[in-house]
Amino acid sequence: MAVLEVSNLKKVYTTRLGGKPVQALSNVSFSVEAGEYVAIMGESGSGKTTLLNILAALDRPTSGEVLLNGKSLSSIRDQELSSFRRENLGFVFQDFNLLDTFSVRDNIFLPMVLSGKRYQEMENRLHPLVEYLGISELLDQYPYELSGGQKQRTAVARALITEPQILLADEPTGALDSHAADDLLHLFGQINQGGQTVLMVTHSTKAASSAKRVLFIKDGEVFHQLYRGGRTPEELYQEIADTLTVIATGGVRHE
Amino acid sequence: MSKFFYPKLAADNLRKNSQTYTPYILTCILTIAMFYMIVSLAGNPGVGQVIYGNVVQEILMLGSWVTGIFAVIFLFYTNSFLLKRRKKEFGLYAVLGMEKKHLAKMILWETVYIAGISLSVGILTGILLDKLMFVLLLRLFDAAIPLGFHISGTAIGQACVLFLCIDLLIVLNSFRQVYFTNPAELLKGGQVGEKEPKTRWLMAIMGVLSLSAGYVIALYTQNPLLAVSMFFVAVILVIIGTYCLFIAGSVALLKLLRKNKKYYYKTQHFISVSGMLYRMKQNAVGLANICILSTMVLVMISSTLSLYLGLEDSLQKRFPREILVSAYGGTEEGAADTTDVRDLVSDVTSAYGLHPENAFFQRTLCCTTIRQGDSFRTEGVDEMHQDTAILIFIPLEDYNAMAPEPEQLEQGEILLYAPSQPFSSSTLQVFGDRWTVRRHLESFITHAVSEAYLADTYFIVVPDFAALEQLELKNQEAYENYASEIRYTYGFDLDTDPDTQEKICDDLLEIRKTSMPTLHLDTRTWAEANERSLFGGLFFLGVFLGGLFLLATILLIYYKQISEGYDDRQRFEIMQKVGLGKGEIRKSIHAQVLTVFFLPLITAGIHMAFAFPFIARMLALFDMTNILLFGICTLGSFLVFAGLYAAVYLITARSYYKIVS
Repeated sequence: MAVLEVSNLKKVYTTRLGGKPVQALSNVSFSVEAGEYVAIMGESGSGKTTLLNILAALDRPTSGEVLLNGKSLSSIRDQELSSFRRENLGFVFQDFNLLDTFSVRDNIFLPMVLSGKRYQEMENRLHPLVEYLGISELLDQYPYELSGGQKQRTAVARALITEPQILLADEPTGALDSHAADDLLHLFGQINQGGQTVLMVTHSTKAASSAKRVLFIKDGEVFHQLYRGGRTPEELYQEIADTLTVIATGGVRHE
Repeated sequence: MSKFFYPKLAADNLRKNSQTYTPYILTCILTIAMFYMIVSLAGNPGVGQVIYGNVVQEILMLGSWVTGIFAVIFLFYTNSFLLKRRKKEFGLYAVLGMEKKHLAKMILWETVYIAGISLSVGILTGILLDKLMFVLLLRLFDAAIPLGFHISGTAIGQACVLFLCIDLLIVLNSFRQVYFTNPAELLKGGQVGEKEPKTRWLMAIMGVLSLSAGYVIALYTQNPLLAVSMFFVAVILVIIGTYCLFIAGSVALLKLLRKNKKYYYKTQHFISVSGMLYRMKQNAVGLANICILSTMVLVMISSTLSLYLGLEDSLQKRFPREILVSAYGGTEEGAADTTDVRDLVSDVTSAYGLHPENAFFQRTLCCTTIRQGDSFRTEGVDEMHQDTAILIFIPLEDYNAMAPEPEQLEQGEILLYAPSQPFSSSTLQVFGDRWTVRRHLESFITHAVSEAYLADTYFIVVPDFAALEQLELKNQEAYENYASEIRYTYGFDLDTDPDTQEKICDDLLEIRKTSMPTLHLDTRTWAEANERSLFGGLFFLGVFLGGLFLLATILLIYYKQISEGYDDRQRFEIMQKVGLGKGEIRKSIHAQVLTVFFLPLITAGIHMAFAFPFIARMLALFDMTNILLFGICTLGSFLVFAGLYAAVYLITARSYYKIVS
């Protein structure tokens, strides 16, 4: 069953002073099945961030529809949007977006507290999760005391503690060194193995090669997609690289 | 490079940073205007011509010192705040290739502009408002208002010197900042991850202790004279307590709240407790400053206003008649028991064809003692003591002459009026004699005894004048050279014009020189003119400095809102991404900002409440015993201040919301 269905998504930005409208997404359709691990690739300006913002319900499309578990995002009222986001989506960002005023524990608790969960329930969910992510030693430290990799693990814990329908990751390895990036991608793979649906937006071939499926976006449209099939990450990496070359040199579209 | 490059750049910078520089320049202008006004008023010959105008001018002179010192501290502090916000900008210039000396040149030009604008506009505003202030001041003294416009060269000169010095200090400080930091550091500016504040238990406990000590002193110092000397101790304790509690107490309290998991992990508490923890770290000192300033303004305005308004009342008490002539008995030549003051007075007045009207005559003996239960001892009274008591004896004859209902006393009996402290015993012991209290009086006929209310006071009516003389002798045995003598007080009205009254007073004072050295003369007119000038001047100064402090408070609040707005913007963006709704954000911002900005006002209110009985006791020294009036003045000034404070908050909160959302 499809967790996420995106159909004919279009987004046009109009500037206030009556300048020329900019089309960020022209026609995007795809779907993500439960338990899938999908990477969306594209260069800067290809519309990936716009797409992610729409999927995250932070922005509304000009036309087209996003269905999460069959429920249309546009049917949700503004007041309920935040709680919907909190309970169904998990986010991991490039720049971590941890709050310096909270300890690691409180950062992870943040979405649960916002949902008004009981403290005991939060504690019960926290321990297996941090154990799994290897940050149980860091709970009482503050974000400014952590390394990049540790910060991103904290952010992953914060995203997963609500047991979301889908984990949305925006360039999660962008601010990490290669070692930490490898660790994180490995972790994403593991999380996905455990049944978590993951959608990652990236322009890093390395990051994309850890996914089971890669979608390419160019000029606001889905241009191409690759399935891992039985291939190793290294083989997929080569394939992605070749595709990117084709896209960059203006090759013809093929399904 | 064009030689206008730096002037232009500097002007551009000020324009770009107008959000922070406009209020700063406005503050400079107003501070300069206020400084000009107070110096000008202090030197204004029109003020000097008012009766006791020199008292007023001295008060204003004091005020100009306070204003000057305050201006230095305040403008310097504000400017360093502005500088901190611009660090990143300086860093960018440095990276783009500006050397430090270029930066310095740019800053110099900026300061020149600010100084030029604020000095010229400030002095001009000062000159315009000066006349208004002058009229207001003279209205307070009920004095005629002379025509004409007064421009004070001294005030212009002093304002220029003072503010150029402040600007010089500011420039030097900016140079220091620029020269001792490297571009990379400048670029980072305030972005360094901020550590969580530590709990300073010792400081928090010290704060609690010194604040409670201050409050205890305020509540339990009954004796008015002791209150004056303890007042400064209490004020300093409360100031220390306020700073400690704002700095350490707030953090300690918030951390305790955080330890309580059930309380902490609720949406509202979660965001506000953690946010406040960091806010308090940055703002504790600023908030404590605001709190102390507010309290000072309120104390000053409420007490001087009630003194000013209560003047009629207190004069009526001290001067039951227009003119009071008194003299001491004793062994000196011309003592009052050998020559009757009444005869002296009627000799003088009859020369003008006048008779003393509504006259009263009273003989009193006044002793300082220490109360122990129902007895009063005379040993060890030279030190001010919590139980120091002033006993005022008056013979029944003199009491009955004025009392609405005549009383009777047997030998060994007394009437007692104890307005300061309850005295329920039916006997009273003093100088080794025990007296029986025949009646406890509810009110008393006269307050025309200048020693009354310096400490706890007991009015005692003795059977006859012989008893009073007996007491005088015993008093002499006990105190020897320091003993006081019986005082003969004669009070009367004269049905005449002020000039004649003045002449009669002059003649009476002549008698004092020639034949009766202990003669003392005071008139209600003199006292009123003197006190109207004193209290009116102090009230004016209170309102003036109050205005200045309020201005400072406004600016502090404004800058706090802006800087916090920038700090909080990022936090709320993140929370929104994680799933916090706009409505919830607004609610939590509201709760946080409200708490932080109204904390000083509420604390000032609490300080005022504790200071109230204390100040009321000190006001008694000025014979201002109308507690209700003082209460109304205090409440009134608090409400007006709170209203202004809230208005400032509402205006500045809008700029905060604009930044955050």
